[in-house]
Amino acid sequence: MHAVMEAFGLVFQPYVLLVILGSACFGMFVGAIPGLTATMATALLVPITFFMDPVPAVASIVTATAMAIFAGDIPGTMLRMPGTPASAAYVEDAYRMTRSGRSEEALGAVLVFSAIGGLFGTLVLVTASPLLAEIALKFSSFEYFWLVVLGLSCAVFVAPGAPSKALISLLIGLFAATIGIDNPAGEPRYTGGNIELLAGVQFIPAMIGLFAVSEVFRYVVTRSDKPLIPPNSGGGIFLKQIGNLRRYPRQVLRGSVTGTAIGALPGAGADMAAWISYAISKRFSKRKEEFGTGHVEGLVEAGASNNAAVSGAWIPALVFGIPGDSITAIVIGVLYIKGINPGPMVFLNDPQLIYAIFIVFFLANILMLPLGWMAIKGARTILSIPSRVLMPLILMFCIVGSFAINNSVFGVIIMLVFGVLGFVMEENRIPIAPAILGLVLGPMLEKNFITSMIKADGSFAAFFERPIAAGLGVFTIAIWCVPLIVLLIRRRFSGSG
Amino acid sequence: MKLDDLSLGVLVLVGGVAVLVSSFQFSAIPGQAYGADTMPRAIGAAGIALGLFLAGGAVAGGARMPSAERSAWSLSGRAVALLVLTLALIVGYVALSDGLGFIPVAIAILLAMMLALGVRPLVAVIIAITGAVAIQFCFGRLLLVPLPRNPFFDLPW
Repeated sequence: MHAVMEAFGLVFQPYVLLVILGSACFGMFVGAIPGLTATMATALLVPITFFMDPVPAVASIVTATAMAIFAGDIPGTMLRMPGTPASAAYVEDAYRMTRSGRSEEALGAVLVFSAIGGLFGTLVLVTASPLLAEIALKFSSFEYFWLVVLGLSCAVFVAPGAPSKALISLLIGLFAATIGIDNPAGEPRYTGGNIELLAGVQFIPAMIGLFAVSEVFRYVVTRSDKPLIPPNSGGGIFLKQIGNLRRYPRQVLRGSVTGTAIGALPGAGADMAAWISYAISKRFSKRKEEFGTGHVEGLVEAGASNNAAVSGAWIPALVFGIPGDSITAIVIGVLYIKGINPGPMVFLNDPQLIYAIFIVFFLANILMLPLGWMAIKGARTILSIPSRVLMPLILMFCIVGSFAINNSVFGVIIMLVFGVLGFVMEENRIPIAPAILGLVLGPMLEKNFITSMIKADGSFAAFFERPIAAGLGVFTIAIWCVPLIVLLIRRRFSGSG
Repeated sequence: MKLDDLSLGVLVLVGGVAVLVSSFQFSAIPGQAYGADTMPRAIGAAGIALGLFLAGGAVAGGARMPSAERSAWSLSGRAVALLVLTLALIVGYVALSDGLGFIPVAIAILLAMMLALGVRPLVAVIIAITGAVAIQFCFGRLLLVPLPRNPFFDLPW
C-alpha cells in the first residue's frame, strides 16, 4: 500500500503531468500523419527521455504510444490509410462508414472502444501479469506456428468476397515476405542483386501503396465529384457509442480479452489480435453479411482488441524483460539506461515504479478521450477540402511517409509497386488486406515452421504433441474444414432434394 | 482490366510454377532438410493448387477460353492520361528529388496534379507552395526526417 501511495506521488507532480500531456499531443500528431507509426513516435521520444527521471521517461512513451495507435486510425478511417497492420483489419468498414457520412460514428467507435480495451488490458496488467506471463512463456515455436496460421486463416475468411481471391492476396503477401536475406538460412532471395532489397519489403510503404496510393489512382481515373468526406449525418462522436456499447457488450468484452491474451505473447502483438478479433466478431455476428460494407460491430471488437493488446504487450516486458513488440523493446532499452532492469526483481526492488507505470496507463487511456475528440474534429475540418485538392496532398504525404521509413527513395519505389498492385487487385475484386497480413506475419510463419521442423526432426506429428499447440492446431484446421464440410452437406442435400 | 476466373486461375498457376521452380536455386540449412527454399516451395505449391482450383472451377462452369474485360474508365483517354501522369509524377520524385531537393519536386508534383485535376491555376500555385513548405516543416523540421535538400531552394530551418 505504501508503494502505491508513493507511485501516486511520483505521477501526480506538475512536471510529470505536463510531460504526459505533451507526449499525448505529440503521439496524436505523429499518429495522425499518414505513414508515420507509433513505433516512430516512440523512437523519436527516446533522445528526449535521456534528460528525464524514470517515471516521466516511461510515462512519455506509454502516453505517446497509446495516442499514436489511436490517431493512426484517423487517416485509416478518413483516407483508407491504416496507421498499423492492426488497423488494416477494420479499415474497410471504417472507410465505408466515412464514405456514407458516418465518419464521426466510426472514429468515435474506434476511440471509445480503444480506450475501453486499453483500460481492460491495463487492469489485467495490474492484476494478473505474473500468471499471464507464465502462460505466455509456455508458448514454443509449435504454438506460435499455429497462432500465425490462425491469424492468416482469419484474414482469408473475413475478407469480403470469395475466399479463393483472399487466398491469392495472402499468397502475394507471403511471397513478398520471402524477399530479402532475413530467413532461417540467411540466404538472399529474389533480391536481383539489389542491396536495398536485402532488408526485405518494408510493410509501411507496402501498406501505404496498397491502401492509399491505389485509392489515389482510383480517384484520378473516376474523378468522382462526390466530396471525399460527405457531410456527417450527426450523432456526435460519443453519443452513438452509448448505443453501440448497449448493443455490443459481449463483443467489447471478447475483443478486450482476446487482445490482452494475444498481446501478452511476445512477438504476436496487436496485429494478430485485431485480425483474430475481427474474424471472431464476424463469425458470431447475426449480421455477418454486412461486415466489410461499413458495419460498426467489427470496429467495436477489433478496436478494443487492438488497444488491449498494446497493454498486454507490457506483461512479458515488465515481468520478464522480454519485449512483446517493437515499442516495448525500445522501452526496455530506456529502462536499462535509467538503471532499472525489467524482470521479476523490479516488482520487489522498485514496486513504486511499476505502480507508477500502471497509473500512467490508466491516465493515458482516459486522456485519449478528450484529445481524440479534438483530433477527430480537427482532422475533419482539414479533410473536408475538395478531393481534387486533397488527393495530390495525400499523394505527397504517401511519398514522404514511405521515404521516412528508411530515409531512402527505395521506400517510395516499394510504395509505387504496391500501389499499382493494389489498384490491379481491386480491379479484379481481390481484397488487399490479407496481403498485408501475409507480408507482416510471413517471416514469423517461416521462422516458427522451420524451427519446429528442425526440433521435431521432420515429424509433423510434433505440431500436435503439446497440449496448447494441439488445441490451436485442431481449432485452425476446423476453421478450414468446417465451411468445406457444410458446403458438401448442403450440395448433397440440395442434390437429393 | 478485369480478368475472368479462368484467366485468374491460369495466372495464379503460372505464378505458382514460377515460384516453385525458382525455389530450387535456394538451399537448405547445412545438415537440415529445411532452409531458404522451404517457404517459396510451399507458396509455389499453394499457388499451383489454388490456380488449378480456380481454373478447374471456371472450366466446370462452362468457360472455355481465358478472357478479360476492359474497365469502364479505360475507355476514357483523359482517365488513362491522368493515371499515367500520376505514375510519372511518382517516378519523377524517385528520379529527381535527390538532385533537385524536396521543395521544388514537391511543388512540381502538387502543381502538375492539381492543374490536371482541374484546380484553378492561382489556387493550385498557392496550395502547391504552402503544401510543400508545410510538409517539409512537419517532416523535415519537427520530425527530423532528412528530406532531400537543395541549397538554391532551401528553407530557413
